[in-house]
Amino acid sequence: MSRRGRWGAGLAGIVVAGAVAVGVAVAPTAAAAPPLPPVTPEALAASVITAKPGPMNGTVTVDNELGLPAIPQVPQLGNGTSTVRVWSNGDGKGRAAIPSPDGERTLVSDGTTRWSYDSTDRTVTKAPAHPANAPAHPGRPGGVDPQTDPSGAATQMIADLRKTSTVTVDGTTDVAGRSAYQLVLTPLPTERTLLREVRVAVDAEKRIPLQLTVLATGSPQPALTVGFSDITFGPQDQSLFTFTPPPGTAVKDAPARGPGGQSGPPQGAQAPKVVGDGWDRVIVAQKPATRPNPNRDEGDAPDLSALGTPVSGPWGQGRLISTAVATAIVTNDGRIAAGAVPEQVLSEALGR
Amino acid sequence: MTTTADTPVTTRTHAPLGRLLGAELRWVLRRPRTLVVLGLLALVPLAIAIGVATAGGPPSGRGPGLVAEIAGNGFVLPVVALGLALALLLPLAVAQAAADAIAGEAATGTLRGLLLAPVGRVRLVVMKSAGVVMVAVLAVLLIAVVGMVAGTVVVGGAQGTLVTLSGTTLGVGEALGRIALVAVWTVGQLLAVGAVALAISTLTEHPLVVLASVLGGLIVFGVLSAIPSLEWLQPVLLTTGFSAGTDVLRDPLPFDNLWSSTIRALVYIAIGLVVTVVRMRRRDA
Repeated sequence: MSRRGRWGAGLAGIVVAGAVAVGVAVAPTAAAAPPLPPVTPEALAASVITAKPGPMNGTVTVDNELGLPAIPQVPQLGNGTSTVRVWSNGDGKGRAAIPSPDGERTLVSDGTTRWSYDSTDRTVTKAPAHPANAPAHPGRPGGVDPQTDPSGAATQMIADLRKTSTVTVDGTTDVAGRSAYQLVLTPLPTERTLLREVRVAVDAEKRIPLQLTVLATGSPQPALTVGFSDITFGPQDQSLFTFTPPPGTAVKDAPARGPGGQSGPPQGAQAPKVVGDGWDRVIVAQKPATRPNPNRDEGDAPDLSALGTPVSGPWGQGRLISTAVATAIVTNDGRIAAGAVPEQVLSEALGR
Repeated sequence: MTTTADTPVTTRTHAPLGRLLGAELRWVLRRPRTLVVLGLLALVPLAIAIGVATAGGPPSGRGPGLVAEIAGNGFVLPVVALGLALALLLPLAVAQAAADAIAGEAATGTLRGLLLAPVGRVRLVVMKSAGVVMVAVLAVLLIAVVGMVAGTVVVGGAQGTLVTLSGTTLGVGEALGRIALVAVWTVGQLLAVGAVALAISTLTEHPLVVLASVLGGLIVFGVLSAIPSLEWLQPVLLTTGFSAGTDVLRDPLPFDNLWSSTIRALVYIAIGLVVTVVRMRRRDA
């Protein structure tokens, strides 16, 4: 009996030691906040806006707790963690690979053409690049997509939010092995928003945003964390920024782009209207000609009718879709209002 | 038992390792069940190839996962076949070898002869592990080679190239390199299963217990990794890394998951071997 007991203890010890070893070997190591010279928020924010990071590659990890419905075409939007591998040569050419368990979506911008390849249906979609507002990385045209481009997303965000936010530098942090300043944007008390604060980790040397964290009111956990889990600056293989459709694939031209940055013919549609500014801005648009895209909280138009809960107000009747950081109302007469605001603000915006 | 009979005990204080190994490997390979399992594993890529070939060309619309990638892209077949077999079939083959190696011999009473033979216990473990390693290597090689032949002959390549998931095309040389990489990686994962199976094999006299524990363990790991609130457990589970083999179809090749899953497998191998050695050293004949 005692021998058996010793045996059990020994085995348990070995297994526990092994489990710890697996954890240590595989889990990433946490690093302490590095000491960095102090910087004013204004200087930091300004340096972010003018930063030229040059060629780099890395892995972007998206930790999404937004509470959005899962959309099959874009599993990255559903709750959970996903990664995107990005390469950029620093002057508008770039490549992004969005892996899924059984395939991959590849986006390549070679300077004149944007290629998109989906391995699950083996189709290549090509579209001319827009030099005027070419994103730093391939991604959604005419804007930046936080899913694939945290640098562009955060830069745009800071520029917008400085008018209505308290901007502070809250110490330093370590992101993907690089020292970074924590730039914190807090909405002014007058702002009516669901967001508590937005934290942007800015690389101390290259001054590009490495990580974007969105915190909503009433939750200690970030609603969204988008950031590099691995980043390397330096010259990139130029062949990464070209794309040749592989044999046996269908190549088609992308449909015209609507002003909302979504595909779909914008015929007869009016541009989305923006009500308010700063944190409580609300986008009001017509369905289905154009779709607003402030927080990427909508799927295809037919899906919206099945989502959310019924609401009514002075503007009529519709359905309310709420997530951790954003709210949207789809009215029965085909209008959509969305923003990072409570329902009441949407109601007022629709009433205008 | 054959090993002791062949060894000239009178002139040696210990048996030569090479001869022991040869005897063990022959012993494993002569088992009909080993051959049957290997033969059945070779059917996996064949079945996929025939299924894909009869289904016709590249599917329109969203295909059912990785298998759809094989159509007109034969070099993908060995990778997909290895990935599918790694879920349960390959672990089954390795667990069977490990179960027969120690628990099986204990069940038939032949382990006693080995324990009494002039062979160190560590050597005995090395020998028994070699049998398991051989089965793992043979099984993976069979699937890879049959998969490559079936992929080239039955499915046909995209102009002799491998179209990666990232939309790039790789030449024959690089495609073969990718297949070799996934084969080596798969052997590594299988050895982790085999080492744990050997350890369980030393704890019981019933080979079926080993099979049931290993397959049950894999299923439990799969269930645990599907529970969102147990996400913190993922780095410890061996099955977490099983999907990393697909990464060889991506370009540029991401090594992170292949590497971390290999490290994880090495830790499992270390635990399994330590338990096996400790248990065998203390074992009474």
